Amino acid sequence: MLSDADKAYYRALQALRDKDYRAAAGFLKYAENQFADMPELGILRGSTELLLSVKDEIYELENETIEIEEILINGQETEFRG
Amino acid sequence: MSRLKTLRKLESILENFLTRVVETEQGRMTTLKSVDLLDEIARDSLKGRIVSNRLGDWFANNRNMVETKKFDLSSLESIGNMLSEIRPGLDPGDPVSRKLSDQIDSWREKGVIPRRKLILKMKPKVSDDNLLARFTDYLGREAKLLESGEYEGRHLLQILDDILKSAAAKEDRMFLHLAGAMIYYLKMYGYKVSPFARRLKEIEKEKSGDCRAE
Repeated sequence: MLSDADKAYYRALQALRDKDYRAAAGFLKYAENQFADMPELGILRGSTELLLSVKDEIYELENETIEIEEILINGQETEFRG
Repeated sequence: MSRLKTLRKLESILENFLTRVVETEQGRMTTLKSVDLLDEIARDSLKGRIVSNRLGDWFANNRNMVETKKFDLSSLESIGNMLSEIRPGLDPGDPVSRKLSDQIDSWREKGVIPRRKLILKMKPKVSDDNLLARFTDYLGREAKLLESGEYEGRHLLQILDDILKSAAAKEDRMFLHLAGAMIYYLKMYGYKVSPFARRLKEIEKEKSGDCRAE
């Protein structure tokens, strides 16, 4: 049978291909613990997790912008909630 | 550059990097996909489900890859083991299943996939050699194995992985001893060895279970 570590690595690659980075990070973390002889998995996991953080940060910044715009459209800039 | 622009740029760089990694690993992905699919078929077969159609499709898609040995040895071993598990579950009364069984047998005969080893065991004779002589015999055989050229250019961790596979598959306890010695050596030099130590413990446990069953 295919080992759990191989399965995790395969699922991680599939998730990366499908741009499902959250799932990929989980599979990579599991695979990294199993494959002690593949330090490159650490780089891959680190990059995926960094990308997730960047995406979260972008999401927060974009939502912040939308909120400020709504206040200006009303024409009553009584308080700044950004 | 605004914070948002910087983050967008970093996002794009990271996405490109990960896309390229996936492209580089395309070959490995294809192999893993085939083995994973056969793994699912084998699991269903062990549950008593009819798998002949899916197995037929698997053969159609992978025949060339296996026959031209495009898969690495470890994948071929996995495929061989899984086909050995599927083979007894195929219905001899069904022509499609018979054809698939013949295909599996033919691959085994031609050595396309490794044969499943049948190991007959007997209790070892009680030896009257002295302990030191047996220990130095292990050391000598281990050195000979490592210097045979088989492992030339490979990292010690990769060699350890192979030795552990041999320890699991073979009866010779020298492989257990060699794996233990390598793990201790790597630990001394700060390598992360806990997954290997776990594997060694599992193999030892299985082996001692085998001995008790005899």
